[in-house]
Order: sequence, then C-alpha cells, then structure tokens
Amino acid sequence: MGLAVAPNPHHTLGALYGKILRTLNKMPESAAYRKYTEQIVRERAAVLQQTKDTYELESKINCGQAEELIIQAENELNLARKMLTWKPWEPLVAKPPKGQWDWPPAKA
Amino acid sequence: MAAKQAIQVGTKNVRPVLSIDRGEAKARVLNLYKAWYRQIPYVVKEYDMPKSEDQCRAKLKELFLKNKDVTDVRVIDMLVIKGQMELKETVNMWKQKGHIMAYFKPTEEPKPKDFLSKFFSSNE
Amino acid sequence: MQRVATKTDEAAPQVETRPTVAKVDPLQKSQLVEFGKYVAECLPKYVQKVQLTAGNELEILIPSEGVIPILQFLKDHHNAQFASLADIAGMDVPSRPNRFEIIYNLLSLRYNARIRVKTYTDELTPVDSACDVFKAANWYEREIWDMYGVFFANHPDLRRILTDYGFEGHPFRKDFPLSGYVEVRYDDEQKRVVVEPLELAQEFRRFELSAPWEQFPNFRGNPAAEEVTDATDVKKDQ
Repeated sequence: MGLAVAPNPHHTLGALYGKILRTLNKMPESAAYRKYTEQIVRERAAVLQQTKDTYELESKINCGQAEELIIQAENELNLARKMLTWKPWEPLVAKPPKGQWDWPPAKA
Repeated sequence: MAAKQAIQVGTKNVRPVLSIDRGEAKARVLNLYKAWYRQIPYVVKEYDMPKSEDQCRAKLKELFLKNKDVTDVRVIDMLVIKGQMELKETVNMWKQKGHIMAYFKPTEEPKPKDFLSKFFSSNE
Repeated sequence: MQRVATKTDEAAPQVETRPTVAKVDPLQKSQLVEFGKYVAECLPKYVQKVQLTAGNELEILIPSEGVIPILQFLKDHHNAQFASLADIAGMDVPSRPNRFEIIYNLLSLRYNARIRVKTYTDELTPVDSACDVFKAANWYEREIWDMYGVFFANHPDLRRILTDYGFEGHPFRKDFPLSGYVEVRYDDEQKRVVVEPLELAQEFRRFELSAPWEQFPNFRGNPAAEEVTDATDVKKDQ
C-alpha cells in the first residue's frame, strides 16, 4: 500500500465517526441515506469501542486496513456534508421525457 | 450563480449555457470580437501570414457577421465558447499557419453560377 | 480428482439450448438488484430508473441535474466505493426527446463490482462536469465535447482533444456524414496543407440512420433491460 501508517487509528476513526454522525443528525429522520449511513457508522464505531487492537479492528470490520478505513470515513464525511446541500431525500427532480429511456429506440 | 437560474427559450424553461439574457450574450460576443481584433497584429506577425492586418480584420468581421441572424441565447453562447477555444488555440500557437490560412480558403474555386460555366466545369 | 468415463456419461450429452449466452450468476444478480434498490432509496431525488441489462450489468438512469450527487455518492459511500471511473461514453439517438446520452462506467475495486450511470441531454443543455469528483473525467469529457458537442459546465480545461484545429462539426453525431464536410490535402502552389469542402456525388449522400438490430423483429419485441425500480411508475400508482 502506498498509504502512510496511521499513528493512532482509533483516535482518528473515533473523531471521524463522531463528525459523520453529527452531520447526519442535521438530515431529516426519514432520509434513507441517513438511516443506512448511521447504521454503518454505528456498527463500525461499536467495533472500535470493543477492541484496542488495530489488527482485530481490521479483521472485525473487514473492509481493509485501518488506514483505508480512515479514508473511507473521510470520504463519507465529505459526502454527508455535501448531501446537506443537495438534499437527495426530496422527491424526483425531473421526470424523463416520454420515450427517453426506450431501447431499442422508436423508429424515427 | 448564473447557471442555477433558468432562462426562457421559446415557451420552455431551460438551463442556460452561460448567459441568462440577450444583453449578456451580446456582451460576450463583443468581448470575443475585441479579443480577436487585438490579437490580429500578433497573429499576422507570429504566423508569418501572407495577409495584411486589414485583410485579417475584414475576415474577422465577415466570420462574425456570418452568424448575425442567430437569436437563440444558448446558440450564441455555444458559438462564443467555440470562438474562445479557437482564440486560445491561435494565441498559444497550437495551430499552424495552414490552420489560420484555412479561414481565407485560398484554393477554393468559386462555384459556377451561369449555365455555360456549370457546363464546362462538369465536363472536366 | 480421478474420474472414469462411464456409459451414462457418453449417453447423455448436455443439451445446450442457448450455447452462446453467458450464464447468469443468481447470487451476483440478486446483489446487484439489491444495490440498485439501495441507490434508488438513498437518492430518490435523482434516480429515475434502475435497470439490469445483459443479466449482470446494473444501470442507474438519472436526469442531468443528478450527475454530481450520484457519482459522489457512488464514489464516497461506505457501501459503494466505486472509486474508479473506467470510462465516460456518449451516445446519439436522434429520435429521442433529448438526443444525447452520457454514460459513466464505474468500478468498485473494494467490492469487485461495476455500475453504469446514464444521463441524457440535448445539443444545448450543459451537463455538470464530473471533474471535481473524478480527475479521470477530464479527458473523457473533452472527448465527448469534441465528438458530440455536449457542453460540460465547470470543466477546468474544455477544448478539443481528437479533432484537428479548425475542424468544424462533431463527428459522432448521427447527422455527421461518414465522409465529413471537408477534405485536407497538400497544395503545391501554396506550399502548405489546405482545407477544401468535399464534393460528393448525390448517390453517396445517403445517410443510413437505421441500426442493424432493426432488422431483427425478435430483438425489438424483447426489452433489452430488466427493470429494478422505476421512480416514475411509483408516482402513477399513488
């Protein structure tokens, strides 16, 4: 891996998961994105609480090395913050015009 | 932000390319024209053109006036975008002399108009 | 493992009814369907339709407003991690209301999965550039701009990439003639390359707009894609 070894992955991950959860709290309760992401992050945060050993943490979460987990958490945080402006839980923004997705296309 | 607002074309609301009204589009066209106009002396010199600056200015005017009847704001914007890209290609010397001279079409023969010349050209 | 051929083996050869069709892995398929529903549920604002083509290719159909949110979601979400943009393709179907389709192919190295995001636009409607999400989008979008003339808003460096300077038109458009509009040759008098309009005899100016599959009525009757979710249908039912 070309990633630098994280000096204290438990601390970094804990902080990131906390930030993600706080960001998600600003979304409406019913938003599916919030529901699922909270679930994922809570699961990972729970594993983080259970163990102090980095290798055990990696094998329990089973989604790559601790450094990769940090990147994933950073990405999710970045995404969650952007989601607040996009508001993807709102109803469909534009319906497709009739015949737009038909395949094979109608003969002209 | 201008891109977020919708503009009216015909009867439907559409997303603008750059400008939200005709005035803005016109300003962009004029800016592009001025930018080309100011570039002409350098183009003539750096590309070693066998044309004078006056001839180039006349060609510039001709090429702009070719699209004078375009009214759709978005079409104007697209033309301006393409014109800007072309200006950049010219200024950065990405083009070669042949590309610039292609505007003047030196080898193109005028289309035969009257019957006799049409007849002669078809029999070659 | 050793195996001895018996008479029964020879007697019952496998009857292949569709020998050239790839086998569908039901587990992979169910996972894809589930993930398609997951995406549609998470981003109902942008997902118009989710479908499965060729048995194992998941497609998310979105309006052009949703390009950035959908791609960012697929890239950054824990359960997606489609971190690699394999390709962006364009497609021109002149008979449709919005003639161009922009197709993003993504790859998730983490989950060994691929996904396709499709959106639509016309000649004048700009699509948001995906360069902020994927650096790789830069050249692909330049290719599409060059070949189809679709304008990408907020692209850092949108300019031609495949055609010659001074080239006019967009060659992958269906109304662009196969031979082009101009020909380029070296002129001895001018001592340089000149561009001249192409003179074509009338019989060569027949543009074939129909595709080969239109000759196969069986193909036309069978829908090419299996639907997973359709946001527009749900609205009708309610």
